[in-house]
Amino acid sequence: MNNRVFNPRATSQVRTLLILAAVNIIIMVALSFLSRTFLTYGNMTAVMMRMSELAMLAIAETIVIISGGFDLSVGATMALSGAVAGTLYVAGISFPVAFTIALAAGVAVGALNAFLVVALRLQPFIVTVATMSMVRSVVYALLKGNVLTEFPEGFLNLGYVYLLKIPVIFLIVAATAVLVIILLRRTIVGRRIFAIGANERTAFISGIHVKRIKFLVYCLAGLICALGGLLFTARIRAIIPDAGLNAPLEVITAVLIGGTLITGGKGSVIGSLLGILAMFLLVNGFNLLGLNPFWEVIILGIILIYVVGQESISRSFGALINRRKSDRPISTS
Amino acid sequence: MMRNNNSQTSIDASVRPTQGSWLRRFFQVREIPILLYIIIMMIVFSISINGFLAVKNFENISRQITTIGIVSVGMTLVILTGGIDLSVGAMLSFAINIGGQVIVQGWPIWIVYPFMLLLGLALGLINGFLVTRIAVPALIITLGTMNIYRGILMVITKGRYITPIPSAYSALGHGFVPFIIFAVILGLFIFITLRTRFGRNLFSIGGAEQSALYSGVPVRRYKMIVYVISGLLSALAGLILIGRSGFIQPQAGTGYELNAIAAVVIGGTSIFGGSGSVLGTFLGSVLMALILAGLTMLAVNPYWIGLITGVLIILAIAVDSLRALRK
Repeated sequence: MNNRVFNPRATSQVRTLLILAAVNIIIMVALSFLSRTFLTYGNMTAVMMRMSELAMLAIAETIVIISGGFDLSVGATMALSGAVAGTLYVAGISFPVAFTIALAAGVAVGALNAFLVVALRLQPFIVTVATMSMVRSVVYALLKGNVLTEFPEGFLNLGYVYLLKIPVIFLIVAATAVLVIILLRRTIVGRRIFAIGANERTAFISGIHVKRIKFLVYCLAGLICALGGLLFTARIRAIIPDAGLNAPLEVITAVLIGGTLITGGKGSVIGSLLGILAMFLLVNGFNLLGLNPFWEVIILGIILIYVVGQESISRSFGALINRRKSDRPISTS
Repeated sequence: MMRNNNSQTSIDASVRPTQGSWLRRFFQVREIPILLYIIIMMIVFSISINGFLAVKNFENISRQITTIGIVSVGMTLVILTGGIDLSVGAMLSFAINIGGQVIVQGWPIWIVYPFMLLLGLALGLINGFLVTRIAVPALIITLGTMNIYRGILMVITKGRYITPIPSAYSALGHGFVPFIIFAVILGLFIFITLRTRFGRNLFSIGGAEQSALYSGVPVRRYKMIVYVISGLLSALAGLILIGRSGFIQPQAGTGYELNAIAAVVIGGTSIFGGSGSVLGTFLGSVLMALILAGLTMLAVNPYWIGLITGVLIILAIAVDSLRALRK
């Protein structure tokens, strides 16, 4: 077993994080020169608020990808929890109960994913494509395609609550991140998640209950996504059927930018969060500078391909320059 | 790892099911179970729904099949080689929206059509280039390009519809024309996959890429071609879509990737590549359209369509993985 896997202070990873932090700072400095409103308290808290639900999804996705899995259903799960909470509340169930059931719905989606991936041994990608479609369809049916705004005032005002001048929604995200980091870095379960992602077979042979841990990973991801969905609902004071439609791209991009390996076994929650932050700073900058917001998805797509293929891109450009005519395929799977 | 239990791949005569009774052999043909499902669904729906067997209804069903069906044929080839193409819907939309910009400037139809197809081809070429040159899973590449293509087209069109379209464009979407196009495409690619060297090599690339390479298959070039075909067919489906709807919208083709993947895996093509068939994909898309049409006539809320599609995909891949485990 590679020792580096368990060492959070592995140099390459620290380098990735430092680069990412530097990128964030550069964007911030550039934007504060370009726009007078950027570095104001109002704009900063707005960015914090807006990134909260995607940050939650990124935390969930990081755990899943580290364990060697993949989850495209995060956005749909997020929409589901808001829709479940709202629908139950409208049906007359007290909000704390509805809130709990909404979280349970997220866990249920995670359990479904886990069942299909672990028990039936299906490919996580295609499974979560299918469950994404299924969950989204349940969301549409629950909301009947409409926006639902009937939530208790107290819950909707969560977006206006500040603690030490920091939005409480953002603090919930930060607390979740800390808990997950502790789980991944300081507990046996966390180590096992890394071990399974690095080499599932080896992990199994060394006595790890691979199935149990994977089940836990997907359920935990579902729970975090559901919590993210409720934060989203509180923030925009409504739940919309299309909530989180683009989330898979954004979240996976952020996670991979943050240095998490697509094949699993290596990664960090902090990296993913820095990735999300960079994305939101860019979006915020586009808004302040009055650029077309669709540039965001273009740039995200390019960054995604570039970051994941970094090494091989430079290699293949080198090959192009050297005119080496080799038809060696690069294994992609 | 070759998992070739398809009787039609004809890579090697020994993989053909030659043992057992004729009944067993019959059921080992990959397409037979889907055909049976189709017949069962037909019987169930025609008993439970009045007018399900009406000619009008079948016209509607088959009209739905053509666009997604054409896209699914391209998707089949990509999945056969062990890849995947999430950008089909985006390529379709890009081709007709960006190509559509010149309609407004009064370009004649015989320039616009090739232009749109050329756009599809170019986008497919970009996919193919990235997939073969960068060591990144095709899934990630096409997830990225899907959003790049959609983003660019939104920036260029600013989300505006292109309407009205000259009536000449509706020819491709009405009457028997879409069916004829679809039938030609189907026939062509069934022939290519079963009777040409290129087609046979797609199976071997998907089955075992390294072995294919060592036995002299130009893996990179073939993979590239497969993505180009996918782009081209997506653009072609777009042309039919314009003909049918009479306008061009930036959101065209949304969700096509999911439906195409569903048709392919329901049609018995392995999601890992290496085995499957274009005919199976056709049957898969027929089955899906049939179920959706039946449920619509039973007044099931259209919101549930996504749920049904998802369940069908999972059933199909579960069956496929059971088949692989039994081997």
